[in-house]
Amino acid sequence: MSISLLPNVHMEVKNLHWRSPSKQVLNDLSFTVERGKFIGILGPNGVGKSSLLRCMYKYMQPDSGEVLLNNKNINDYSRHEFAAKVAVVLQHAPVGFAMTAKQVLATGLINQQKWWQRINHQAENVEIERVLELVNLSSKAEQVFESLSGGEQQRVLIARALLQKPEILLLDEPTNHLDVGYQVEILKLVKSLNITVVASIHDLNLASAFCDKQLLLQHGKLVGCGQPNQVLTPNSIEDIYGIKTDVDKHPIGDHPRVTYHFDEVNRAAV
Amino acid sequence: MLPFSPRFLLALLIPFAIISPLIAIALGTANIHFNEVLGAITRTLMAQVSTDAKTMLSDRIIVELRMPRAILAMICGAGLAVSGSVLQSVTRNPLADPYLFGISSGASLGAILALTGGIVFLPLSVCAFLGSLIAVAVVVVMARDGQVETLVLSGVAISFLLSSIANLLLYFSDPQAMQAVLFWSLGSFSRATWSTLITPAVIVATAIVIIYQFQRPLQALMVGDESAHTQGVAVLPLRLGMLILTALMTSSLVATCGGIGFVGLMIPHIIRILIGSASASSLIATALLGGVLMVWVDLLARLILPAQELPVGVMTAMLGSVFFIGLLIKRNQRFR
Repeated sequence: MSISLLPNVHMEVKNLHWRSPSKQVLNDLSFTVERGKFIGILGPNGVGKSSLLRCMYKYMQPDSGEVLLNNKNINDYSRHEFAAKVAVVLQHAPVGFAMTAKQVLATGLINQQKWWQRINHQAENVEIERVLELVNLSSKAEQVFESLSGGEQQRVLIARALLQKPEILLLDEPTNHLDVGYQVEILKLVKSLNITVVASIHDLNLASAFCDKQLLLQHGKLVGCGQPNQVLTPNSIEDIYGIKTDVDKHPIGDHPRVTYHFDEVNRAAV
Repeated sequence: MLPFSPRFLLALLIPFAIISPLIAIALGTANIHFNEVLGAITRTLMAQVSTDAKTMLSDRIIVELRMPRAILAMICGAGLAVSGSVLQSVTRNPLADPYLFGISSGASLGAILALTGGIVFLPLSVCAFLGSLIAVAVVVVMARDGQVETLVLSGVAISFLLSSIANLLLYFSDPQAMQAVLFWSLGSFSRATWSTLITPAVIVATAIVIIYQFQRPLQALMVGDESAHTQGVAVLPLRLGMLILTALMTSSLVATCGGIGFVGLMIPHIIRILIGSASASSLIATALLGGVLMVWVDLLARLILPAQELPVGVMTAMLGSVFFIGLLIKRNQRFR
């Protein structure tokens, strides 16, 4: 097993390959995730963003290559050890069965006791109230999860991930289906946690505003890796998304701003 | 918000679960006063025997006939309701019930072989138990990938296959055996004795304790396989393990009491409406409500017609159908 010598590397993906039954989805991906940084995975639909994340949280086994967490292959962590270090917020959570927000949250505490141990409900309630306050949802604890708005549901799922007290938070399109206000609110919340975050994001302007580092994928390959102003250029965006853009400095921030030429889209060229 | 808090519902159900069997023991063809029921139970617990001939007779009716029957009904209701609730969680399918996985048809085939075949020399209940276990074993082997869809499809396929074999055997059997199979398959607690309830009691109690310990992983599974995986849950072993546990419970109950449907489907729905289904309290409430309902259904089955007993399975099916039709009407009104 190869060992990374960089001290601030929290997670490392090395020569990752994964093939679905119909095509090569991930093709020789290698990158590092630095401790405490917000890493954004960008790329068009079907490029392999979710597959990459799934390999990173052990839901799928890559065909070759490896993922290291704290210099140790993720397969060498037990299921519980890994869940205590890496929390995941999925794109869809099919919560049914009239589960309340609090009950959904409580599933984030599985790792904190063995199956034969008695649950300390009082201590758990304190923990749950703490994270609910953090995501500003204390008043919605007893509401049925499905009756919450999309943004509230997403915040519950982030709160659940926080209950795991993770070192790393992996998010698969956390702003999907949310209005602009919720999108910014969710990303601000995640950024404020000051832990390592890896998130797949579609909105290039949001990714520019919040990410310390961006990974740009095309046909399962890494075609860009670095700070937003290095990765998001008119050429790279046109190559990957098939749309002409202007990229300049955001008027109220240091990050790049992407302006789309709505009449110059050519997906066939991608 | 859910209409009841779990604690409130439990506070209602616990006294009901104590009083209902006592009422069921008191009422019947020979009505026995409530005090006599308590007296008979006390005398039995203290190992005392009454010298009065009338009291001796009522003691025998209470202790040897009605008590095991009420307890078996309680165990059966609790076991079927908990099985339904667990299966609905692990398959994330609110229509899953213990009979979806070939358990009932496997038991029927076993019973038919015992009654008609002559090739099987074991008692009916043992044959039914083995039949349902074999059916579930085949379903588990076919659905070893642990996917919900495979599990449900295998269950339905095996269920139909075994039913067709059972019907074929029945078609060529004599009318007497056919009558016996029909009576058995409609469900009844009339065969309850202290010795017949030991096996289901031990299996159901053990299974419920194990399921209780796995409440959290089961709740995680309700949020989806992938989500549960990210929480550190071993999804496939948990799903198959729970399927085997519920199969053991249901098989032992079907073998003893025959086919009693709808309880495993209806009770988890009621509990979900009242307090939601994702708590340890909801498991206990499911078991208690299932048990209480079954005791009352059995009591009705005994009392509704003079000098005749109705099959319990028919009563639960009627009750369940009416419940679901009512639920649908209410839902349609809400969306109007």
